Amino acid sequence: MTATIPVPADSSPPPVDGVSITVDGVPMTVPKGTMIIRAAEQIGVEVPRFCDHPLLDPVAACRMCLVEIEGQGKPQPACAVAASEGMSVKTQRTSEMAELAQRGVMEFLLINHPLDCPVCDKGGECPLQNQAMEHGRSESRFDLEKRHFDKPINLSAQILLDRERCVSCARCTRFSEQIAGDPLIELFERGSKQQVGIAEDRPFDSYFSGNTVQVCPVGALTSSQYRFRSRPFDLVSVPTVCEHCSSGCGLRTDVRRSTVLRRLAWDTPEVNEEWNCDKGRFAFAHAATPEFDTPLVRGDDGILHAATWPEALERVAEGLADARGRSAVLTGGRLTLEDSLAYSKFARAVLGTDDVDFRARPHSTEEADFLASVVAGSGLGVTYDQLENAPVVVLAGLDPEEESPIVFLRLRKAARKRQLPIASIAAWATPGLGKMFGTLLPTAPGAEGEALSALARGGDTLGSDGRRIAALLNEPGAVILVGERLATCTGALSAAAALAHTTGARLAWIPRRAGERGAVEAGLLPGLLPGGRSLADAQSRAEVAAAWGVSVDDLPTKVGREVDAIVEAARAGAYNALVVAGVDPFDTRRPDDVIAALEAVPFLVSIEVRPSAVTEFADVVLPVSTITQRAGTFVDWEGRTRVFGQVFRTSLALTDARVLAMIADELDRPVGRQDVAGMRKEAAALAPSGSGRREVPSVAASSVSASSGQAVVSTWHHLLDEGTLQRGDDDLAATARTAVARVSAATARAAGLTDFVTLSTDAGSLDLPVVVTDMPDGVVWLPTNSHNSNVRRVLGVDHGAIVSLASGGGA
Amino acid sequence: MGELPQVVRGFGTTFVTMFKHVNTEQYPEAKDKFPPKPRFHGRHQLNRHPDGLEKCVGCELCAWACPADAIYVEGADNNDIARFSPGERYGRVYQINYLRCIFCGLCIEACPTRALTMTHDFELADNGREKLIFEKADLLAPMLPGMLKPPHAMAPGTTAKDYYEGTVRGATPEQIADAEAQANPEPVVIEGVVFLDSEVTQ
Amino acid sequence: MATPLTPILTAHWDDPDSFTIDGYSRHGGYDALPKALAMEPDAVIGLVKDTGLRGRGGAGFPTGLKWSFVPQNDGKPHYLVVNADESEPGACKDMPLLMANPHALVEGIIITCYAIRARHAFIYVRGEVPHAIRRVAAAVREAYQAGHIGTNIHGSGFDLDVVVHSGAGAYICGEETALLDSLEGRRGQPRLKPPFPAVAGLYASPTVVNNVETISNIPYIIRNGVDWFRQFGTEKSPGFKLFSVSGHVRSPGVYEAPLGITMRELIDYAGGMREGSELKFWVPGGSSVPMLTAEHLDLPMTYEAMAEAGTMLGTATPMVFDQTVSVVKTVTRWLEFYKHESCGKCTPCREGTSWMTGLLETFEAGHGQESDLQIIDDICHQIAGRSFCALGDAAATPFPGAMKYFRDEFVAGTHTSADDAFNPVASTVLAGASTR
Repeated sequence: MTATIPVPADSSPPPVDGVSITVDGVPMTVPKGTMIIRAAEQIGVEVPRFCDHPLLDPVAACRMCLVEIEGQGKPQPACAVAASEGMSVKTQRTSEMAELAQRGVMEFLLINHPLDCPVCDKGGECPLQNQAMEHGRSESRFDLEKRHFDKPINLSAQILLDRERCVSCARCTRFSEQIAGDPLIELFERGSKQQVGIAEDRPFDSYFSGNTVQVCPVGALTSSQYRFRSRPFDLVSVPTVCEHCSSGCGLRTDVRRSTVLRRLAWDTPEVNEEWNCDKGRFAFAHAATPEFDTPLVRGDDGILHAATWPEALERVAEGLADARGRSAVLTGGRLTLEDSLAYSKFARAVLGTDDVDFRARPHSTEEADFLASVVAGSGLGVTYDQLENAPVVVLAGLDPEEESPIVFLRLRKAARKRQLPIASIAAWATPGLGKMFGTLLPTAPGAEGEALSALARGGDTLGSDGRRIAALLNEPGAVILVGERLATCTGALSAAAALAHTTGARLAWIPRRAGERGAVEAGLLPGLLPGGRSLADAQSRAEVAAAWGVSVDDLPTKVGREVDAIVEAARAGAYNALVVAGVDPFDTRRPDDVIAALEAVPFLVSIEVRPSAVTEFADVVLPVSTITQRAGTFVDWEGRTRVFGQVFRTSLALTDARVLAMIADELDRPVGRQDVAGMRKEAAALAPSGSGRREVPSVAASSVSASSGQAVVSTWHHLLDEGTLQRGDDDLAATARTAVARVSAATARAAGLTDFVTLSTDAGSLDLPVVVTDMPDGVVWLPTNSHNSNVRRVLGVDHGAIVSLASGGGA
Repeated sequence: MGELPQVVRGFGTTFVTMFKHVNTEQYPEAKDKFPPKPRFHGRHQLNRHPDGLEKCVGCELCAWACPADAIYVEGADNNDIARFSPGERYGRVYQINYLRCIFCGLCIEACPTRALTMTHDFELADNGREKLIFEKADLLAPMLPGMLKPPHAMAPGTTAKDYYEGTVRGATPEQIADAEAQANPEPVVIEGVVFLDSEVTQ
Repeated sequence: MATPLTPILTAHWDDPDSFTIDGYSRHGGYDALPKALAMEPDAVIGLVKDTGLRGRGGAGFPTGLKWSFVPQNDGKPHYLVVNADESEPGACKDMPLLMANPHALVEGIIITCYAIRARHAFIYVRGEVPHAIRRVAAAVREAYQAGHIGTNIHGSGFDLDVVVHSGAGAYICGEETALLDSLEGRRGQPRLKPPFPAVAGLYASPTVVNNVETISNIPYIIRNGVDWFRQFGTEKSPGFKLFSVSGHVRSPGVYEAPLGITMRELIDYAGGMREGSELKFWVPGGSSVPMLTAEHLDLPMTYEAMAEAGTMLGTATPMVFDQTVSVVKTVTRWLEFYKHESCGKCTPCREGTSWMTGLLETFEAGHGQESDLQIIDDICHQIAGRSFCALGDAAATPFPGAMKYFRDEFVAGTHTSADDAFNPVASTVLAGASTR
């Protein structure tokens, strides 16, 4: 929504020292410390290179970028020599020395390179191929036997290595070590036997492994997913935005004949730089094709039958006819901003209800108040750049590596390059925190609010680390990041807001799903209208009604219910109809209750992409387009609008907004056509006006404690788990982290745990391997939705709940 | 009167022609009498190695070279379960659209493995557009004596290089036995449960 | 004989206990230590600077200057790393020194550390010489016991710990930054410079890396002063030097002589060429420097004179070859060494050495193509000055030098194998030179 694009915050670049140099006789001034290779790029001179990558530390290993620097007898690597005052550089365009040096290196690079371009995935988009055409000999002088290796070998389930093709540029190993912090691959052996490898028992299971395939300047690293699938010249590339988490990565989606073949990270300096995570890169099978061809209508026989759109819409209209004011809308967190706005309008203006909530996950009223008061309508807040330059970043209830990987990469970059202090309020120091060189402020689930309050009081109760962090928080530019799970910690979000207020630190909320921030902006919360307006505020209602082209009287005035309350009300028969979009009951805190509600409600409309637990009970299923078939906008956690176009432009599948418009027409309460362009105009009209801001919540923190034989659950999602959008890629799933239960040594001893633990509630039990971890006593951590560890589905509980512990027998 | 002799003269020309050498080739009655020239550009053929494995590696260079965009190829991985060509990659999908093909032969020049060549077959007319899109099965060379229908393993002890250098001369007894074993999988018993081979490997 | 030998480091090598602290102390050992500790550290650096002592590891960089690059009062720890990774083909001077006179090194380390304000020193010894490692470790242990190393050394308030570290035998680890990587527990590969070790070396702290022989000179310099040191050698190459003469001489071994001695004199000291043999070619400083012939025997062995002759003094470890030796085979063997020892980091050295070796082996086997000589020469030029570290340059050195004097032998390699042209037995100790 253009509405959420604010003026770029105070980010005027600091003054830099310039140095004057000439490159190929062209005088220029570049910032001090600029490498010659970058300076040359500014005048359009591309010095050939392999090991050089602007985001990796220079290594000068490939020697391809040798240039002549006046006054130096030997050619110098342009990637590793910084420009200095008065330097005169001659590249291959003007210097014979440079030209000869580059040709020599290219000849060397090719002598052992196999001639398998025809079967190599990189063929056609290969830097080695391209630069060999430009700087190589047309005929090889090498007629000895080339070096041979077995090929290919697996570095992980999804990354394959062809050592014969490798030019030892070390981009992959440097990426893994420097950027991702997962030094799982390394160069072994020496001389021409040098090769990339992994430790015998540790595959390259990094969340960022796919980037190595993208940065490999030859075809040495390939992904099992894209291997031999296509050729670059077959592909149509479309810039898109990742639909998984709220990082907002720009992606390049490569398509052939209506099939997505691969996705790559798109160079987006202000967001994901040139990286993305493996989930964003490899998990796109979910969007392959919509699994419904037509709308489905439940017949008298109780079975869903294919129907035409007019039939289905007629049936929806019948079902919703008497539902005005007696209906609710659940949307889930994966909608585009345009679709979220359409649901917001549909619920209020068409169904006359404020019972609308996007949070198909554990939530609280405090969270709704927090989102409405702090997040909604706040525009572009904390940015990636600000994170990178902050004096301190406090993570509260957030593990960026698992929940927002690009935030993790940025924080690691800052921690590595400028020792950014990072503190995490969580139960244990995750690997991600270690890679960010962060400090753990150990906090039991439920005590997060108390910990945040303690920081506001100077951090004395949190030890020396706490005092240090609390002091840093008072410095200008300090940042507090809160994660989704704080919703389940009473008082934590209030405490975070209070801490930000006390210290002047900036506060940002990082949800897990791509559509959540957009849903907040669109007002998909009870009592919240688009642009951060309040339903209770008359002026806000008037502004929104005007933008929507409806009468103010058509809007509900009574603040509606949240998801849990909607579920209760539905089971109690308070609704005549329920409209549900992308919701998976198993993501909610009590899946059984949600399913009971779906069963109980007299009329259920499911607007969906694929069969789900909701479509099972739906009276009408209206199919909508997959993410590749629609254009739209995601609002990332920063509040930055990430607009993307349609990948498959010929698709006739409809967006949610269009479907809702058709239903509204059928109900005789037309809301316009609601195409993407129209919705974007509407979004602009709904720009935050500052009216009707809700009060920041101030809920007192409370904590839970477990009695003997029990433990408080601490849980969050692994990046790669059993999420719906990750289905269909086994190789990706094979690189996921194994689910384990973590307890402190004392807790393990008290409960008599050895190898396995059985966690149980009234709803069910889970058996998991135990890992003794340095963490508060009486707490057990396990991943929320991983293989063998489906906390909500099986145990029916979430973060902060109490479970029983018993020694388990093993799985 | 002057007209008649002209008519007669005309018939005369016709009559004389009857005794001249005829250039017309009788097609299709006498087509065997006039085979195309050796370098004639006819229908394509996807060749096989002497043991039956396909030469095509699915590299798509033919499709890239094609000025008429008549060729469509998709590559895929050879693996231990199903091998169609020596080496890592084979052409899983191979289509030539003869409504587009201009028989220029650039695809033949582009082919790095000599998998694609042109035959002398030019009788390609048909009465449906879809019939003129030739699939891989239509284009593959016939099985010659000594060949074994893929998928099957490479000749024991050989590499893709041996195939390209022509040292593999035909299917070996081991390859034949292997292929037979694959065709009639023996049940594999794992802890009392009986699986078929194909299930185990899945 | 114009130039006498100057046994200083080697003076007491023939004592049965030369390697013990007693043996060392008997001849004035550890006398320099209190003298140095009484001086200001900067004065020690100044003194070493004044002597003009140049690094004995091969490059010949002025030692005092190197020390003065270490930034003072920067709050970071400083380190001294002694490079005892002697692995240059033909070089055998540091190991005998470590075996016979390790305490000179230890005393030198203490004084050097005092001068550069280092509290930790590491002796990185090549892994293949466990006997030398044992000797050095024992010497360090004795020095600890004698209170020369440890806390508050002789009441001076100066603390020092010395660690003897065993490498794993990679030639590249003799390159100072690769040595530091190896010492830190990484793969031995050279680092990008700048930053130079003097600014960010071991554990990113200021570090001085010096050769064993360089550091071993220090106690003698402190004891005897600048003038004494400068009386040896030449203006630009002052001092004395261990020359390890090997090859076809009667008595190969380590000869300590002032810089500026000629090769002819050294050969004479080594008993002359072996019976019935005449000099064919020689290298002044290991395989990494271009070869010379008999016409160069009267050049003074100094850094500057060798550079003038188109070669380098290097480690000053001359190898002498007589007429029984095939140049093709020698160069091939050297290149095989460089190929094997190339660390793989940069392209020219990694690929160039293996290609060159492959081609040279065809000449050694007698089926080379004459046109390939041009290719090998091109390869050398494509490596020299373009590789990451000096190892690449070293690998590009032997062939052009050999071609300058012995092109015919390479051409003969197109039809005759090296073994046919030169009986391999004839060049060994098993055969008198007269067999051929």
